[in-house]
Amino acid sequence: MALSKKELTQMTKEFKIVWLPIVFILLGLTQPIVMYYMPVILQSMGGVEGIMIDPTMAKPEGREVLASTLNSQFDQLGIIILVVALMSMIQGEKANGMMAFILTRPVPILSYLNSKIVIHYLVAVICITLGYAVSYGYSAYLFTVVPFKEALWALAFYCVWLLFVITFVAMMSTFFKSPAVIALISIVVLLVCRFIAGLHPFIDAVNPASNSLSAANILMTGNLEVGDGIHIIVTLLLVLLMITTMHGFIAKKKF
Amino acid sequence: MRLDIKNITKNFKQKTAVHDFSMIIEANECVGLIGPNGAGKSTLIQIIADILYAEEGEILLDGQKIALMKNKIGYLPQYPNFFSWMTAFETLSFMGTLSGLSKNELQQEIPLLLEKVGLGKEAHMHVGTFSGGMKQRLGIAQALLHKPAFMIMDEPVSALDPIGRREVINLIKEIKKETTILLSTHILSDAEEICERFVVIKHGYKIEDATKSELLERYQDSAIFIRIRQEDLKWLTIIEHLPYVKKIESYGDGFKIHVYHLEADAQRLLQHGLDSQVLFLKFEMGIQESLEEIFLQLVV
Repeated sequence: MALSKKELTQMTKEFKIVWLPIVFILLGLTQPIVMYYMPVILQSMGGVEGIMIDPTMAKPEGREVLASTLNSQFDQLGIIILVVALMSMIQGEKANGMMAFILTRPVPILSYLNSKIVIHYLVAVICITLGYAVSYGYSAYLFTVVPFKEALWALAFYCVWLLFVITFVAMMSTFFKSPAVIALISIVVLLVCRFIAGLHPFIDAVNPASNSLSAANILMTGNLEVGDGIHIIVTLLLVLLMITTMHGFIAKKKF
Repeated sequence: MRLDIKNITKNFKQKTAVHDFSMIIEANECVGLIGPNGAGKSTLIQIIADILYAEEGEILLDGQKIALMKNKIGYLPQYPNFFSWMTAFETLSFMGTLSGLSKNELQQEIPLLLEKVGLGKEAHMHVGTFSGGMKQRLGIAQALLHKPAFMIMDEPVSALDPIGRREVINLIKEIKKETTILLSTHILSDAEEICERFVVIKHGYKIEDATKSELLERYQDSAIFIRIRQEDLKWLTIIEHLPYVKKIESYGDGFKIHVYHLEADAQRLLQHGLDSQVLFLKFEMGIQESLEEIFLQLVV
């Protein structure tokens, strides 16, 4: 508990708790607004000759806009920003000796790791939720209303993917000494996961990023599929596995 | 609290930092771990504090593995690092909570402790603004907070100026009364002042383990120190050829005469001097070397 409290205070002092939500709110805003003004933007830019803007072109529906907020804003820029913001969550304390110092106290390694992951996850969930809520509002205002229940389900699935993202960054932060390496590996691995999602059902079953895809599917079609449950279970198992690995790594004092 | 260090070996890649190191520290002893830079002191200390992992050997505190006894240990790192955004009070309260102390205890203990280490006025200042000496004292405070029976200190005074050093040494002397202490240092005079027992480590090997008086006795020279008048100096060239005089060397403001059998030869030498009309300004038998010199002899 003391560790979690310290973690939260530290994030407040670093203003992470302020700028991270703002970034995600802006990200959430971007998609509906860009999509709404797309015809106008294309027109004013002059475009390539020969392209005709059809004014009767079907306006996208609110659900499509919301799904693309998740898939193209949060899953790309969002992940990169999260990784950069969280890359030194453990590495920083490893480098200045605070982690070793804290562990000279009777503190189980697991509670140290949990305080890190839980607090950073909660903050990330709050940021994503805020951004998502803003995107939801604007989609409803500029396009059509998405059923609230479906939107909530989609968010829930997205948060499972988010848990994987945070745990993965934490693991990299435990393994490596240089923030640049942590950021690079995390971003590459996570984005690759995201890009190969939906390619093949077998890969999807073990790919945590398919939770993000499930979220988008729920928004588009409005119904849950059996496979979605499996993704959640597999992702949670992966998260457990990563925490065990980190625990082993720290217990053997390889940091 | 009896600390039992058994056959510790620690390798870093190719380099062996600590080599089959064993020793026992009895309750209420104060042991100084001495060695030049890079001898493996910090590594050993960190293994004892359960920060580093030793390939071989184990460390027992009262027969229990050290990892299970963390509440009994107070650890002061070489460069105590704290969260700079915390105040001194918050730091202690954070570290104390990790050791499982209750809020009430902390509220009572912390101001007393800060007073004791001389940070009473700075209790609510951010640690980021602290000087090295203040951080060191805060480090001692956090190590004392949970009333450990055993204190491990890594170079507690090496980084401090003379005033800070004096303060910290006095503080450690105070703590010594009720706690077993193991401290490492490369400054011998500091260790000499605090500890009774010294363990000298070099290249990861334990090369000496003795009390101060044992050390001095063991390294006593069979030499005689004399000081004579200027006009008697030629007498030295005569005695140089005496069979029982090994060697004469200039030492301080006089001369050191090395002999084979201290007492008998001193007698003869004194007699010889008197016969030669030499006036002795000073005649001293069995020169004791300072610990500093013994230390140099050991490690160089």
